[in-house]
Amino acid sequence: MLRLPPYQYHRPGSVAEAVALMAEHGDDAMYVSGGTDLVPNMKHRLFEPGHLIALKGIDELKGIEELPGENGDGGVLRIGAAETLTAVSAKPHVRELFPALAEAAAHVAGPQLRNAGTIGGNVCLDTRCTYYNQTHFWREALGFCLKKDGEVCHVTRTGKKCVAAHSADTPPVLMTLGASAVLTGPSGSREVLISEFFVADGIVNTRRATDEILTEIRIPLASATRRQAYMKLRQRKSIDFPLLTVAVAADLDENDAVRTIDGVVTGLGSRPRALSKWAEVAAGRTLDDALIDELSERAYKQCHPLENIIVDPEWRRAMVPVYVRRALEHVAGA
Amino acid sequence: MSTKGANLKSDWHLIGSSMRKIEGLAKSTGRAVYTDDVTFPGMLHGKILRSPHPHARIVAIDTSRAEQLDGVQAVITGRDLPIQYGIIPWTPDEYPLCVDRVRYIGDGVAAVAAVDEDTANEALALIEVEYEELPAFFDPHDAERADGSTPYVHDARKDGWNGNITKMVKLEFGDIEGGMDSADVVVEGDYFFEGTTHAPIEPHCAIGQWDGVGKLTVWSATQVPHYLHRELARVLELDQAQVRVRQPLVGGAFGGKSEPFDLEFCVAKLAMMTGRPVKILYTREEVFYSHRGRHPFHMHYRTGATADGRLTSVDAKILLDGGAYASFGLVTTYYSGQLLCAPYDMPAYRFDSTRVYTNKPACGPKRGHGSVQPRFAFEVQIDKLAEHVELDPIEFRRRNFIGEHTKTVNELRVTSNGFLECLSSVEAASGWSEKFRNMPFGRGIGIAGSTYISGTNYPIYPNEMPQSAVQMQIDRSGRVAVFSGASEIGQGCDSVVAYIAAEELGVPLEWVRVLRGDTDFTPVDLGAYSSRVTFMLGNAAIDAATRLKKLVQSSVAKAWDVKPSEVLLAGGAALWAHDTGRQMSIVEAFHLAEAEHGTLGATGWYNTPKDVHGEYRGGTIGASPAYSFTSHVAEVEVDIDTGFVDVKKIWIAHDCGRALNPVLVEGQMEGSAYMGAAEAIMEEHVFKDGDHGRAGLHNAPSLLDYRIPTSLDTPELQSLIVESIDPEGPYGAKEAGEGPLHPSIPAIANAIYDAIGVRMDRLPFTPPNVWRAIQRAREAGTLAKPSAPANATANPPLSETVQAD
Amino acid sequence: MSKTTSIARLRVNGDLREVGVPTHYTLLETLRYVLALTGTKQGCDKGDCGACTVIVDGAPTLSCLTPVWEAEDRDIITVEGLAGPDGPHPLQDEFDLNGAAQCGFCTPGILCSAAALLARTSSPTRNEIQEALAGNLCRCTGYAKIYDAVESAGRRLSVSKEATG
Repeated sequence: MLRLPPYQYHRPGSVAEAVALMAEHGDDAMYVSGGTDLVPNMKHRLFEPGHLIALKGIDELKGIEELPGENGDGGVLRIGAAETLTAVSAKPHVRELFPALAEAAAHVAGPQLRNAGTIGGNVCLDTRCTYYNQTHFWREALGFCLKKDGEVCHVTRTGKKCVAAHSADTPPVLMTLGASAVLTGPSGSREVLISEFFVADGIVNTRRATDEILTEIRIPLASATRRQAYMKLRQRKSIDFPLLTVAVAADLDENDAVRTIDGVVTGLGSRPRALSKWAEVAAGRTLDDALIDELSERAYKQCHPLENIIVDPEWRRAMVPVYVRRALEHVAGA
Repeated sequence: MSTKGANLKSDWHLIGSSMRKIEGLAKSTGRAVYTDDVTFPGMLHGKILRSPHPHARIVAIDTSRAEQLDGVQAVITGRDLPIQYGIIPWTPDEYPLCVDRVRYIGDGVAAVAAVDEDTANEALALIEVEYEELPAFFDPHDAERADGSTPYVHDARKDGWNGNITKMVKLEFGDIEGGMDSADVVVEGDYFFEGTTHAPIEPHCAIGQWDGVGKLTVWSATQVPHYLHRELARVLELDQAQVRVRQPLVGGAFGGKSEPFDLEFCVAKLAMMTGRPVKILYTREEVFYSHRGRHPFHMHYRTGATADGRLTSVDAKILLDGGAYASFGLVTTYYSGQLLCAPYDMPAYRFDSTRVYTNKPACGPKRGHGSVQPRFAFEVQIDKLAEHVELDPIEFRRRNFIGEHTKTVNELRVTSNGFLECLSSVEAASGWSEKFRNMPFGRGIGIAGSTYISGTNYPIYPNEMPQSAVQMQIDRSGRVAVFSGASEIGQGCDSVVAYIAAEELGVPLEWVRVLRGDTDFTPVDLGAYSSRVTFMLGNAAIDAATRLKKLVQSSVAKAWDVKPSEVLLAGGAALWAHDTGRQMSIVEAFHLAEAEHGTLGATGWYNTPKDVHGEYRGGTIGASPAYSFTSHVAEVEVDIDTGFVDVKKIWIAHDCGRALNPVLVEGQMEGSAYMGAAEAIMEEHVFKDGDHGRAGLHNAPSLLDYRIPTSLDTPELQSLIVESIDPEGPYGAKEAGEGPLHPSIPAIANAIYDAIGVRMDRLPFTPPNVWRAIQRAREAGTLAKPSAPANATANPPLSETVQAD
Repeated sequence: MSKTTSIARLRVNGDLREVGVPTHYTLLETLRYVLALTGTKQGCDKGDCGACTVIVDGAPTLSCLTPVWEAEDRDIITVEGLAGPDGPHPLQDEFDLNGAAQCGFCTPGILCSAAALLARTSSPTRNEIQEALAGNLCRCTGYAKIYDAVESAGRRLSVSKEATG
């Protein structure tokens, strides 16, 4: 059997206790929530922390509830980071307000992984690459790679930049809903928009410091009025990571004309890509076939999948407008 | 020869009805024991160090640091096991651990035994191997063209030969070119079948135990305990009497456990060195490296037919990508041609097949060994021919039906043949006549047929002894003990012998105890391969049971003063056929017999006919006591924007001769069709090339990235059992475990064509591949529903339906 | 990091067990190799196949990805715990009757996923069954007989609930 490296498991009862444990063990420690990604990665020797600090048992990280607004804003739906993807997908509150998020959560991996995996873990999911998510033996035979133990990226064949793919289902939806993440570390808490949470670096692709805990997701309740869609491309209908995900959210006026519209795709590069220049062509227009065509074409031009995922990048690129179109049609028809 | 066992279905109490499997509840309650469930006090754990290079000379190995690690009990290298082995006696080309050369990334070079797996892994990291890398062969065409300027994968056996060539077979029957000339249409095409692997859910596992005074016991998840027994003795230089192979239940195999593997030799050697039990459990990654899966085939077919749809000539040229070792490759090369000659009559047939070595994990037998790939190509060829001559493809197949009790062009004897009934079953059940060429663009339906062997007439090593045998004994409580050496890999062979014992001896099924999986006390059965077990083991069981039955009948007859043939054994009683009111309990009957004849025991065996093949070199390969026949209809929906092929349903009609237990037969049919559909739309066992990481490196040795279908990806499956009653099969039964895989793939290919007018001649039909084919068709202006054949209504479909239940 | 051992308190199939476990063990390794509950299987090493599925607090869970410490203070049911004193769970019996277990290696995990489903609803639709089992790979059956078995077991559970309820 593929073995885990030795480690000590800590089960703090509070965020403060967890942060203190991290301060104590420093670089030799990692936070773990559902473990569905970290545990296989540890078996692959991609991470070998001496200490795992478990977040799943911390009550402060649980709960899905509406928080009233402050200073005139409309309030948020707070989702504790340790809520499982199953809980997020099944919670009536989420399904009513943010159906695309429920859908995205329901499409992560397979049922057992959703029972263990958490929304916080999904947002913080490590990037993936065909040259990275492999055993130590395999990576050694390859000669390792830039992201771990090596000096060359086998995708771009240079040593400059890691292009491992962001492969999480929920962040694109959260971005279109204007959600934010709350991060708590030794020096307190801060709130970061999910749209600003990711950076284009495959090695570490988030702005979360290693000693910070993502404690909750906050979605503005105002976004619940947006029409939402989520589409996932994968070869099997279960288990697989996305080859492409598309999230779209739009505000339409009483005449079905677009007020605002946002699209985010991922599964391509190291961070989710917010599709640009949609608003300027879409504002004020009806979301009809012609507009959907235009928006899909814009998406296609902006997306250039790499061979970081083992599936044919040319096909994946061709699927961008297909899935964007399907998401837009869903929004138009909703 | 007459049908074994009684002749009328109504004579039987159990055979033909749905029954539980004897180990079924053990499996569903977690009590069933598989190899990794076995542990011993003091057991050590072994690990194998594997080559990171596809082709390299081993210059030096230093194991001293590993040996010094606390907890390490033994370290071995290839030099400790210097005798070559191989499943085919003529092509032994593997060492348990490589001696001087590694031939693929993952080839074993050293092994350790330590107190636990973690320590064993640490020890592997301390072994230093110095390699001298060699140029490698990855493409079979390159391997075939090699001129010796760089080292062949294996040294040539003779000067001037290409050492990359494992086997070449050229066989020709009838007048090929004359047949082509007389054809009104000749269809020619190139086909490619990508490699696939078995992916049983249980990884390989073995435990070695040495008693210190000369007895080696190896527990293994193997399909071939007998061959393993022989090879262990040979390689470890022990007498066969010193070796005992035990086979716990096997968690799936599909051909992937049908020859000896490095771990079995390593646990044996390490146990002998340490005097302690040693277990090795493959990681899933190692299962992918051990492979022996379906060979990639590059195929070229030329097929002629007359305007009224009769085949005139078939000409095939095939290149098999064998990977680093021979495995069953000699047989695979023959099977690539030999098994194509039914169920259609071919006046002329030629095949020219070459298997080459490449520096990748070795290919071998996977369910439908050697014949799934050519069947795909040929059934698509037939679909094309039918279209050319404007015939419904089912009618085309009917017109070429070879018949029953006949001989193929390559001189294989065919006995029972229910292929026509298979065709009409799927035709009726699928609603073929309403759907073919008649569904909306994007939806399609396709047909294909096939045949497969019920075992091989010749064993892997030449000998005249029985291929399968059982021993039965009856105790004084009436319980029947059956000693069976057959390999239970999930197909139900232990249950089959129990059904037969219960049927023949008239006892309740629960009274039969099957003692199995141990070469020390079971007679030889050659193994679970070539779909041989039900046919051969079943006949052996009938043979043994009949011998016992006769003893019981004669003693009861004597007591009643009637003829022995008038004594029936059924339902826990002995009964007089003329007045079933006259009866005694079966236990009493057994006691009478034991008093008269002594302790009740019998052996029974089966050997194959040896006189039913062609008198030409290779003519024995492909010869089987009986052939199964299958037809599938597949219905698909193709998403032309994405290339996704959604296989909605497969109708599976299979001539299994006689369904001894319909539930088990359906299980084999459904499992086969599933596996074929998976190979069609999803699976590809492929490797990186020089432009992508490192050439020869497995693309993705995990069950995440080697995608096998989930419940949501598997089509609806409907089994339609056809019973042709074979004269030599047990109660008329033939195989059901491998034949029903074959038509899935071409039926899906033909359905895709019906749906969108695009021919898929290269596997797999993954979304990117289908999407690319659609793009090409779009550019060529051929993306459209094909037109219906003009002669489609000439022969209205038969309406007869065969029900599965 | 060197290996150390600690005491794990696990409630497995109703029994409270305290066992010494190396701290880096998964729940699967603990069940199989420490508690000798070998009914739970290992197929893929890392959460891809579902063979190691057990029920933790009612939810099908991959024991190969669960650090054993994460399973402390929870109610763990393995395939060995599905049967009661009166005999096998209806699912176990129906798997046998329907030929839903061929090689049987994926069966314990599938039974755990199916048992959790039937605990929620005893009359699931075929699509609900497919969704519930979508994380358990079976290589033998093509899943068809598994659906039949789950449906039959559901019917038996409904009947027995009506009888007792």
